[in-house]
Amino acid sequence: MSGREYLGEFEHIVILALLRLADRAYGVTVRQEIEARTGREVSIGAIYATLERLQAKGYVKSQFGDPTPERGGRSKRFFHVTAKGISAVNRTHRALRSMTAGLDLVRSYS
Amino acid sequence: MMTKPSLVQPPPFAIWLVDLFTPDEEGEAIQGDLLEEYSELALKSGVASARRWYWRQSVKTIAHLIGTGFRVAPWSVAGAVVGGFLLLWLGFGLGLPERATLAVLDFRRQPHVHPYYTWPQAQVRVFWLVCGALIGRLLMSLFIGFIVAAGAKGREMVATITLTLIQGVFGAVEFLVWSASHRYAFLLMPVITPFGVSIMIVMGGGIVRKSRSAAARRPSGT
Repeated sequence: MSGREYLGEFEHIVILALLRLADRAYGVTVRQEIEARTGREVSIGAIYATLERLQAKGYVKSQFGDPTPERGGRSKRFFHVTAKGISAVNRTHRALRSMTAGLDLVRSYS
Repeated sequence: MMTKPSLVQPPPFAIWLVDLFTPDEEGEAIQGDLLEEYSELALKSGVASARRWYWRQSVKTIAHLIGTGFRVAPWSVAGAVVGGFLLLWLGFGLGLPERATLAVLDFRRQPHVHPYYTWPQAQVRVFWLVCGALIGRLLMSLFIGFIVAAGAKGREMVATITLTLIQGVFGAVEFLVWSASHRYAFLLMPVITPFGVSIMIVMGGGIVRKSRSAAARRPSGT
């Protein structure tokens, strides 16, 4: 891995949801945040598949909370973005800004 | 009478299916998240709607978990599948189930004493040969399912389902070739056998997965 990789589209969305939710970021809140902000129905499996990938790249870390009764005694798995993850978000944003600079997307392509 | 939606459990079969495909390290979080949202939805929109949502989420989640299984552990899954395919090919190619059936049928039989069959005896023998071979193939498939699942730790269902799909393709080709060259294409056995073999391989994977999952949940002190 080069360490200079850009985030994929869904990885980008998930990592931004983690940043928005801060210390409340776990499967349910991440899924609901993405659905509320993008209008896109996503499965909990898609969220975990992406989070696992991001964790393998070192962009996020996770820790288990305490078990709760409304979850049948199961724990929440909280995720947070690492410094490496923040760098990846910034790198991706810079690349997107650079690629869209000078383009009048609304007028030319709508 | 009012029901308490928060106490209503999601469809047990959906829970069981998700559990079957979820790696141990993710099982608690995924099942907990699904249950939490299900309870919220049941309170808000009713149990029927929540159950539909749960099934939809379960199916999509399983599809993602299968994809993740390939991506996270491609070599162990591929190795287990190739190994399983070779075992199937060797076992069925060498006719091990048929040989075992013959060995059981001829155990304690002395051919030099009764070298010839009467017609009813021959019918019984053929019946047991066919049934024995089928049972032997199914048992061997179950055993191969165990081996493949043991080799693909944490991705048992991905490996056994992949093997089943590959075996299904080969089974279909074999059946087409067989029915093109035989007059008795209407016989059910060539159809039943690959179908049964597939089910038994996946069942073997499921048994190993469930036993590993139960062992992982067991408290370490006991």
